[in-house]
Amino acid sequence: MLRMATSFPEEVLEHVFSFIQSDKDRNAISVVCKSWYEVERWCRRRIFVGNCYAVSPATVVKRFPDVRSVELKGKPHFADFSLVPDGWGGYVYPWIAAMETTYPWLEEIRLKRMVVSDEALELIAKSFKNFKVLVLSSCEGFSTAGLNAIAANCRNLRELDLRESDVEDTSGHWLSHFPDTFTSLVSLNISCLLSEVSFSALERLVGRCPNLRTLRLNRAVPLDRLADLLRRAPQLVELGTGAYSAELRPDVFSNLSGALTGCSELKSLSGFWDVVPSYLPVLYPICSRITSLNLSYATMQNPDLSKLVSQCQSLQRLWVLDCIEDSGLESLGEVCKDLQELRVFPSDLGAEPNVSLTERGLVAVSHRCPNLQSVLYFCRQMTNAALVTIARNRPNMTRFRLCIIEPRTPDYVTLQPLDVGFGAIVEHCKELRRLSLSGLLTDRVFEYIGTHAKKLEMLSVAFAGDSDLGLHHVMSGCESLRKLEIRDCPFGDKALLANATKLETMRSLWMSSCSVSFGACKLLGQKMPRLNVEVIDEREPPESKPESFHVEKLYIYRTVAGTRFDMPGFVWTMDEDAALRKS
Amino acid sequence: MSEVDMAVIKPEMMKSYVWLQTTDGSIQQVEQEVAMFCPFICHEVLQKGMGSSKSYAICLPQRVNPAMLSLVLDYCRFHQVPGRSNKERKSFDEKFIRMDTKRLCELTSAADSLQLKPLVDLTSRALARIIEGKTPEEIREIFHLPDDLTEEEKLEPLKNTTDDPRIRLLNRLYAKKRKELREREKLKIVEAEEERVDDRSVDELLSFINGGNGDSKVLKTSKNKKKRRRRKDQQKNASHSEVAETDERESNGLHPMCHDTELDDEFRPSSSGASKLQDGEDDIFAPKVEFDDVDDEIDPALKEKIDREVEDFARRLNSVWPERMQELLSFGQERRPVHFAVNGNGTLRRCGSAEQK
Repeated sequence: MLRMATSFPEEVLEHVFSFIQSDKDRNAISVVCKSWYEVERWCRRRIFVGNCYAVSPATVVKRFPDVRSVELKGKPHFADFSLVPDGWGGYVYPWIAAMETTYPWLEEIRLKRMVVSDEALELIAKSFKNFKVLVLSSCEGFSTAGLNAIAANCRNLRELDLRESDVEDTSGHWLSHFPDTFTSLVSLNISCLLSEVSFSALERLVGRCPNLRTLRLNRAVPLDRLADLLRRAPQLVELGTGAYSAELRPDVFSNLSGALTGCSELKSLSGFWDVVPSYLPVLYPICSRITSLNLSYATMQNPDLSKLVSQCQSLQRLWVLDCIEDSGLESLGEVCKDLQELRVFPSDLGAEPNVSLTERGLVAVSHRCPNLQSVLYFCRQMTNAALVTIARNRPNMTRFRLCIIEPRTPDYVTLQPLDVGFGAIVEHCKELRRLSLSGLLTDRVFEYIGTHAKKLEMLSVAFAGDSDLGLHHVMSGCESLRKLEIRDCPFGDKALLANATKLETMRSLWMSSCSVSFGACKLLGQKMPRLNVEVIDEREPPESKPESFHVEKLYIYRTVAGTRFDMPGFVWTMDEDAALRKS
Repeated sequence: MSEVDMAVIKPEMMKSYVWLQTTDGSIQQVEQEVAMFCPFICHEVLQKGMGSSKSYAICLPQRVNPAMLSLVLDYCRFHQVPGRSNKERKSFDEKFIRMDTKRLCELTSAADSLQLKPLVDLTSRALARIIEGKTPEEIREIFHLPDDLTEEEKLEPLKNTTDDPRIRLLNRLYAKKRKELREREKLKIVEAEEERVDDRSVDELLSFINGGNGDSKVLKTSKNKKKRRRRKDQQKNASHSEVAETDERESNGLHPMCHDTELDDEFRPSSSGASKLQDGEDDIFAPKVEFDDVDDEIDPALKEKIDREVEDFARRLNSVWPERMQELLSFGQERRPVHFAVNGNGTLRRCGSAEQK
């Protein structure tokens, strides 16, 4: 009733909205009605754009006039596996340029898989006087020159996090560009930097920032200097060591030991390149407090590895190499009852197993850790029975990514496909949001997924399926699907075209080395104006081939911004002009 | 006894009261310490000297009706007592806000006009919790709000619906194919597993879109035999639908068959197909398809245009195979010009010479 709307003044509505912060809820309230749309857009302070090409920067800044925090994602996830050629896109500069004048009070920028140039960083440093948070996750395109600008100009910077970005290291002295008056740093993550940073500058910086909670160093920081840093920052909560190796010297050992015991708040550890096991005991006194442990670079073996892990009774998250083996995972299960997330990475991708890590380790953890909900597991063998057991043990699983290293590996006991096993996962784990498949799989597994995985949001598929039916099951059955990435599967035009409308309800679809024809791509692009259908082919122009020609890579995403204009020569967008352009 | 004597004997009887008037005209007196908990009332008393008697009653803002005033005063009466613990206050608050959404909105509004910030926060948070996790439709229903945004204003594309009737029709066709595929799955057709996409790309696409009414000569496998069988069945019923259809649109060989397929699938479950059709195809399409293709009435002239375009896009699929096209068009329709005008967002445009191979 109109009465409700008019008697509720805007400030009150805005006040109600101030208690609603999740992106999903904000998006919902913004499309309820005209008056809510208006109120909401003026008080929206934080936006998340999962695909930077889904909307133009101009549209965003026009609709939301007073944003303080922006999060953008660029390249598709398969870029992590080098499937997206360099130069594909994901440039952040146009966004910074659009926000330069419209968001002078912007405080936070978080980017993932985007190309960030030094110019973009310089523009950020220059434009936003109250800039506080810069997170560049898996980004590239910038050098330490850009970091100079940030350090020198962002007086109120709290977070500088370069996690897993590719940075051109032209000089280690960018850290010295933080002025002596700069004391606001709360979080610094430079773990991805390859060359040395000026250690004295680092020491001084750490020493004058009393609120520093997170410090993740790069490999170049030697272990024997770590103690000095820790003594300057005993309030640290998260620590990433540099190389964890030094000569065996008792003074270094006791120095480090003392410094660590002084850090009574420490809860998270990472780093550990080049581990020298003799230095592990310095950690034992603080292990019981540790909730997050990232040993994915720590090439150490059992028993040192499992001894370390089994002292961390409060552990909630563990990232580790497969050197932990089944035995290590079994003791993990005995000790770490609060474990929620486990990632086991391969230490060697060769054909022959070098460690004794099998399905048994995962089954053990699933059996013993009642809160386990997120799993990423690289291994070489699996059985349906193991997967069924895991599914029954952990119906609360929300993320399950299994990577059997050799494609199309069957159940090693029965030699059957792993359809039934993954079927059990989706059937029992009703809250499953993310799933990666591997091993020998037929269309049947996709039928299970389409039938049961109603909350699934992201699915990764490689070397699986027999026909279009597989893709069809997924696209027609998975109601919550937002991201689908497929490589090397015999999926073609039929399922894609039959489920064309589904694509508008998803963020994106990636298909590479499948059987989708150029003709189908064109048709899709012509018929669906709210999709960008990008054909990526580095071999030769698809237009020079017949329409039945299979495209190398296909990336489809929904967008209200229309075709993008920053595509390199090997990317073609199929749209209504495609037919025109061909002639 | 004089007043002063009374005060000595029973001091608690000498409470001060504040007089308040709501917009409906009714006036009431409220204990001063309770009423003064509201900044608005406090301001009126202290700055303007109002509220000391009935004739100088404080006029409360319009958004405070007697029912809301009563609630606000209950809140004030509890919280103005200084000795209470945080736990007690929290417990009271939790019980206090348990009311229907309409009253909660009114109360938020009333509290805001009385500048009673703690109550505004309490009610606002409660409203926020109601809103969280709901879809826009649900929110609209709860708060009785109109759905008055245009498609452009909503940045998020809607699930499975677009306002372009052409796309909607295509969507319906796709949905039909999905359904067919599911039914085929249920019958456990073995051929499905033997399918190799390489062999049949455009043929299969065509039969998908045209419901198996494509060329009979080209489709070779037993799977397609099944389609042909179905087509024969449809032809039996064709007269049914064609009777109704001829009024609605000019037919050509290809698309009534195409259209018939859709209708016949719907006709089977219900007996009075023809009359239903007259009322509007949308009845048939809308509830059956399980995805939310919510259809508005489509103007018949526009429908005609859409049907032509559907046929055309199927044809464009075949632009590389002129022989197939001949077969398709052998149903006796005249050759239509490739160019055609399109209004709207130009999903189909003039085609260049590529078509004319």
